[in-house]
Amino acid sequence: MARYGMVLDLNRCTGCMTCVMACKEENLTRPGVWWNRVLALESESLDRMTYLRYACMHCDDPPCVPVCPEHAIYKSPDGIVLIDQEKCHGHGACMKACPYDVIDRNPDQDYFPEEKLPFEETPDAHRIHPRGKASTCTLCVHRIEQGKEPACVAGCPSRVMVFGDLDDPESPIREKYQRSRPLLSSEGTNPKISYIVPEGMWEPLEQRIKENPRMVR
Amino acid sequence: MAKEEKLSQEKATALEAEGEVEGYTFCDGCNEVPFCGIKFFRRGDVITRIEPWPDFPASPICSKSYATLQRLYHPNRLKYPMKRTNPKGSSDPGFVRISWDEAYDMIVGQLNRIKKEHGPHAVFFYVGDPKEPRAAVQRLAATYGSVNYGCESSTACRRAAQLAELLTYGFPTMGDLPTEESKVMLIWGTNPAYSGQPFLCHGQLADAKERGVKFIVVDPRISPTAGTLADIHLRPRPATTAALAAGMMHIIFKEGLEDKAFCDKWIHGIDELRDYVQDFTPEKVEKITWVPAKDLIDAARLYATHRPGAFLTGAQATTHDRNATNNHRAILMIPAICGYIDVPGGIPKPTEPLEGMQGPWADGPPGFCLRDKMMEMKEHRLDLEAFPAWVEKLFEVQTNYLVEWIKEGKVKAFLGWGLNTMIWPQSHAYQQAIESLDFSMSVDYFYRDWTHRYVDIVLPAAMNYERLAPFAYFGRKVFGRTPVKPQGECREDWQIALEIGTRLGYPDVFFNGDVEAACNDILGMWKITYEDLRKNQETGVSIPGKGVEQYKKYETGGIRPDGKPGFMTPSGKIEAVSMVLEKYGIPALPEFKEPMETTSEYPLILVSGSRVPYITHSKWREDSPWLLELQPDPLLTINPKDAEKRGIHRGDDLSLKTAAGEIRVKAKPTIMVPPGVVGVMHGWAKANVNELIPREFDPISGFPPYKEVVCEVVKV
Repeated sequence: MARYGMVLDLNRCTGCMTCVMACKEENLTRPGVWWNRVLALESESLDRMTYLRYACMHCDDPPCVPVCPEHAIYKSPDGIVLIDQEKCHGHGACMKACPYDVIDRNPDQDYFPEEKLPFEETPDAHRIHPRGKASTCTLCVHRIEQGKEPACVAGCPSRVMVFGDLDDPESPIREKYQRSRPLLSSEGTNPKISYIVPEGMWEPLEQRIKENPRMVR
Repeated sequence: MAKEEKLSQEKATALEAEGEVEGYTFCDGCNEVPFCGIKFFRRGDVITRIEPWPDFPASPICSKSYATLQRLYHPNRLKYPMKRTNPKGSSDPGFVRISWDEAYDMIVGQLNRIKKEHGPHAVFFYVGDPKEPRAAVQRLAATYGSVNYGCESSTACRRAAQLAELLTYGFPTMGDLPTEESKVMLIWGTNPAYSGQPFLCHGQLADAKERGVKFIVVDPRISPTAGTLADIHLRPRPATTAALAAGMMHIIFKEGLEDKAFCDKWIHGIDELRDYVQDFTPEKVEKITWVPAKDLIDAARLYATHRPGAFLTGAQATTHDRNATNNHRAILMIPAICGYIDVPGGIPKPTEPLEGMQGPWADGPPGFCLRDKMMEMKEHRLDLEAFPAWVEKLFEVQTNYLVEWIKEGKVKAFLGWGLNTMIWPQSHAYQQAIESLDFSMSVDYFYRDWTHRYVDIVLPAAMNYERLAPFAYFGRKVFGRTPVKPQGECREDWQIALEIGTRLGYPDVFFNGDVEAACNDILGMWKITYEDLRKNQETGVSIPGKGVEQYKKYETGGIRPDGKPGFMTPSGKIEAVSMVLEKYGIPALPEFKEPMETTSEYPLILVSGSRVPYITHSKWREDSPWLLELQPDPLLTINPKDAEKRGIHRGDDLSLKTAAGEIRVKAKPTIMVPPGVVGVMHGWAKANVNELIPREFDPISGFPPYKEVVCEVVKV
């Protein structure tokens, strides 16, 4: 089986929000739920702005899995961490357990409360998000099954993201993977999403994630 | 209707059983034409999802593009023609649904009456955002007999820079991407990380950086382009462009780094330019522009010694001040003195642009646009007296004196596609002027109160997924699209223009309203039809060229239509001293002019139009909740030091004031803007920053000072 992951070279990231919106359009998540976030980080001392594409880390040892009382969260054979929407009862333990704070609860709101837009009427399974249930990045597993990259990767204009099988020595992800590190590795969850970060920005990035990993307007 | 619906449902169900069908269109999320390619998937007429059009020349797509799907089906879309029922000036215009026949009867009746009573030039034709209908609307204006056609480019966007290019180089260029030959890249006043030109090319720039190309980025802000690419980032005080450029040329000349042979042979006024920049020592330039002398020297040396150098300039960031044209002309002289014009890896002048286009698609094909007829009517142009150099070089009317023309009774009616009154400084003056007209019409996707409450008729436009015209071309490659049926009674821009023309009594000129026939009239220049585009839908159709790309064509006669060596300027050379400007008694060297001075009352400089990547102009605030969620409020970017002095924190409600007006905004302290500068994105109806801009214009181009005005910010 593959072990899918992603490397992000933040030297190339411009904070253009394309990945954020590509994910929204692909998955039709509810208002306020952004599986794919972009955090902007400023360093006054370095006179530098850095942008961080941030989402579920698809950990090899995901702390969200064992805490779920309904056993709704599992790792796919390809290592993708997924939430079974049938089993999930919105208990919320996973949200607390995740050191990256990347699990949301689907809110009651819709973008258009009075009506469904035509493309929302008979949605594919990956576009259905029942109220109150836990919600996070699926790595676009439905696209991977069709041999495609996740929507955020396919959409990135600056080619910040490389997607691939971390165990495949032939994969194009290999070269950058070896130069990358996961964020908050001290948490010991062994994320499969890792980063190449501009000089001097590791600490401020990790600090920011600990303080507030939400998109700030 | 019910039967039709049932039938279409049955058809949809049948298609669904067969699965999704692919389709193709172009995005109009920002305002370029043609822009990025979208591949969509539909079930029946319902588009379910979209992705970038693979291998399309303008690719990938951006956040706005993804949101066009939500915009397409937005419940608030205009779906029927509407007319006002309450008199102008009423708090509620009382718009009611009417038929297309009634709308056209009103328009044609007014056009015929005005022609008889005031002459055809009293009708102003205008295309704002999107640019797509420009060719069809020009054909309409010319056939009706009005020379007064303008657009957003000729108001505040690209044309001042283009005028500078035409005066200086004799051909339009915003530069291009670095090639394998390029050693250094100068990016001045543009942020290709978020937008054109050319398209969303940041990925390619980042590749160039990885292969060793050096980057100089000139931008007061730490734009993502500067942040990710710049080896040297120059952050000038807004509106001091000509001084900074003069400073760079000062160093290049002083250290003998210019291309002397090129300068002597191909630059008109090179001695005057040398004399002029002699004064602009790095120390003096630092005082004027805030750019440290050392950085200036390093940038000048880097650009002149890493040969050849390319550049990218912006559409308008360097021309939003009262010295717009000469500021931009000053930038253009830097690669010129280095000899980087029309050399491999430098500033290209395409050898074989597509025959019959003579410029970017946005201008429209001159033949189809009946440009000759427009030129014959030149003496009736409303901007003739105020902006003679502009009129000599550009066919679109500079619109900023619209207020005066309407007051003087020179304009009686206004026909607008994508009209947006917030484009103008002191927008309310234009709103009142349009309201006072005999008749006005606007075509749009949504009802936009800040414009439509002042007009008589609003017509519903088909969106990008519902349009056939225009097709796209890049270089010598042509692409078509596969529209779905429009929502409601929406019609595409071209169709509306063609139908008005047909009803005015010119069915042959306007193809009886048939959009595909109009496209085929243009495509016929290359002996193809829209059907050929469909047959080659994803890959497009290549129009064969005659030969390979040539360089230094100014030596061989490949630039001028008369075949003589040289450039398309009066002197035949690149003009540091513009003979056109000289003729009209305007400063002919790219001189620096001191911008508005800050005062104790107004100690900050206001940059109107600090863009964010997920909004363009006034669009998208209400068109897509996906995007609005990213930023629901007008934000003021202010340096943390300036914020601290005023006790301002993130999210605070602020009052932003200039001598011309006041708006309310929310605070976003950020190091992106330097101390002394604040920025607000334009186009917020609830905080229209252009109300703070005075109607004081660059004397050459008529451009307003969107990036020069002094201001103050206080907590509310």
